[in-house]
Amino acid sequence: MSSIKISNLRKIYGSTPAVDGLSLEVQSASVFGLLGPNGAGKTTTFKCMLGLARPSSGEILYDGKPLTPQSFERIAYVPERNVLYEWLTVDEHVEMNRRAYKAFDPARARELLSQFGVDHRKRASALSKGMRTAVMVACAFARNAEILVLDEPTSGLDPVNQRHVLSLIINEAAKGNSVIFSSHQIGQVERAAETIAIVDRGKVILSGLVDDLKADRKIVEGIFPDVGFSLDGIANDPRVSRVDRTERIVRLLVTAGADEIASRLSASGATGIRVLDLNLEDIFLYAVSPVTATTDIVTKEQSS
Amino acid sequence: MTYIEWLRIRNCLKVLAIILVILVGLAVVLRISVARYMSPAQWVHHISRDPGTHESSVTLPDGTKRMILDNPGERMHVIIDDHGSAGTHIEVTEPSSRAHKENNNVSVGSVHVVESRHGTMTTTIIDTNGAVPMLYYMAIADVFALIVATILAAPLAREINGHLEMTLTKPISRLRYALGAIGVDVVGILAASVMTVAAFYLCQLLFETPRLDFSGVNTRAILMGIASPLAWYAMLCAATTWMPRAYGALLGLIPLGLLFVGLLTLVPTSNVVALFIHDVAWVISRFDPLTYVSVASPNSEGTMDYSGANFGFRISMEALFFVAYGALALWRWQRVEA
Amino acid sequence: MPAVLTVDPRSGVPIYLQIVEQVKRSVALGVLRAGEQLPTVKQLAIDLTVNPNTVARAYRELEREAVIETATGRGSFVRTDEVESSPRVAVEIGRDAVELALREAKAVGLDRDEVRAIFEAALERWFSELPKGDSQ
Repeated sequence: MSSIKISNLRKIYGSTPAVDGLSLEVQSASVFGLLGPNGAGKTTTFKCMLGLARPSSGEILYDGKPLTPQSFERIAYVPERNVLYEWLTVDEHVEMNRRAYKAFDPARARELLSQFGVDHRKRASALSKGMRTAVMVACAFARNAEILVLDEPTSGLDPVNQRHVLSLIINEAAKGNSVIFSSHQIGQVERAAETIAIVDRGKVILSGLVDDLKADRKIVEGIFPDVGFSLDGIANDPRVSRVDRTERIVRLLVTAGADEIASRLSASGATGIRVLDLNLEDIFLYAVSPVTATTDIVTKEQSS
Repeated sequence: MTYIEWLRIRNCLKVLAIILVILVGLAVVLRISVARYMSPAQWVHHISRDPGTHESSVTLPDGTKRMILDNPGERMHVIIDDHGSAGTHIEVTEPSSRAHKENNNVSVGSVHVVESRHGTMTTTIIDTNGAVPMLYYMAIADVFALIVATILAAPLAREINGHLEMTLTKPISRLRYALGAIGVDVVGILAASVMTVAAFYLCQLLFETPRLDFSGVNTRAILMGIASPLAWYAMLCAATTWMPRAYGALLGLIPLGLLFVGLLTLVPTSNVVALFIHDVAWVISRFDPLTYVSVASPNSEGTMDYSGANFGFRISMEALFFVAYGALALWRWQRVEA
Repeated sequence: MPAVLTVDPRSGVPIYLQIVEQVKRSVALGVLRAGEQLPTVKQLAIDLTVNPNTVARAYRELEREAVIETATGRGSFVRTDEVESSPRVAVEIGRDAVELALREAKAVGLDRDEVRAIFEAALERWFSELPKGDSQ
């Protein structure tokens, strides 16, 4: 039973779909990273997940059941934008959490706040952006929640605090809780998440285990002796998702079977064959970048 | 869950408390400045102890008990008329001194003091009117409660303006949250009324023990004084929940706007344009809870009728406003998205 | 366990594979001795700041390759039963390195004889007998 299951979520604002048929599943005791360019629909997805926006269609289940007010005893949320009450102090925010949630641990919250370097007596209006994020994160992680939904939980934080948030996320998974978080810091997602989904224009365009994506996706590069070579056989292979040609150099983005395709490339006359690893940032950039006109590129449908 | 709202009313009531304390403080100052006119009983006692005072009592034909104190040595002459429940009337004639101002006229609640100087002698007349109608207390309390109601009146709009991610992710349904916040505000508004009445009672206590009159028109005044700020609150709550981004402006402009509309209903309908304006204003004012605030209504003879005719209608309208405007606000709240 | 494990999440090599390779390397070098206990999955995840399921996968892989064994409730330990486990792992690492070198050499167009010449020269440099002098 997955902790969170989103099926075919659609959310239309006016006439534009912000989310257009998005599906994903977060397993228990795991960390799920949500990546995507700005405006891809990540925040809208979170809002629909938490009942802050009503989906136009689609279903969201938590452990097989739809969201109810009681679910929020087990779900903690860090929103993307600042939602603190400007006129309240940090302490008063902690007190508010204590009264609202049964499992909230004020001592843990205070401990986290001091680790982040937040002065608990300050009013929210006097806090910097990073400090506000830290307050929201501290209160969320003091909740002993089984499911954490974090929208850009490191925004505005200095590198030390960013690493601290990552450790907290990893710790939650180690404790058996589920985390889904979005971030523009792909390096962070690479560390903390074992599953990711890349969202673009309201849809998931790529998802899977980070380790598998990295192991399977490679660039196979080769140099042909002259310009007028033919790649037809290889380009039609379903595992080749993208072909970039610049004069005599060919780069194939393959989703599996890199070594085999490298041999075939070699067999068709290319030399200097290399199989290049891709890290998550590379995978992400390839997934979201459109076809450019500067090189003769043929892009095929991703078979994800 | 309604912790935030409790904090809001606490802040608001703190300011109100400070204002009321200042008022009581002013009353204390006033009391001290008229301290020479102690309660009749104390005073009588004080003057009687002077060996030069000659005291005599008589009962007038209408039942008033008159006491006369005369002190030729001090050239002081005092007449005290006790009208029973209708109050006390005291006349003091004494030589002018530095403490006497030139013609003073002071009214505090039911105590009325008139000082007038005639050459070397000054006459001071003190009237205590007896019972104090609650009507007067409620009139003031209603004003303060209305102000507090206006200040508190946008609990849902304030949440919509940037805190929904926190408010709507609590383990409580939207409806229960809204009812809780509104409930807290209602308590705050009622507390404001009580605090104001208590403060003014205290002011009056400095001068005498007020006998409060709750009967007749005063009961109606109390009911209206409770209901009208709540209805007013509900109206502003509905308006701000539907237009949350402008809630501050709404809380300022709606009262002014309705005041203006109220004035327009008094426009003499001398021509077609004036008639149109009057009619439009009249219609709009029907939706304003304050239009119905009155314990008296003009009767067919053109005089004011305090008998409470139409009061049932008015108080029902206030209750209806509270429920209807409240429902409007809640309906919007249920549908709002972050 | 000595802190010889580092991972580079930015590398194109999956993190779990990096952990597997580094544990194998530690075993081959004798830094991890037979029977020595590895940190728990949770602890290693926190120490390295990587996902615990990734660490768990690495441990599963190491177990599959018979480098470590896990006793439920007690933890994970370097295997003691294969006396040659250290040299075996060393051979695997050596083979991977040579395969990679040969693939590169072929990719740039060297033929068998050219590669052999380079190979022999390198062997001389790296594996010649002392006391000619440690030419490292």
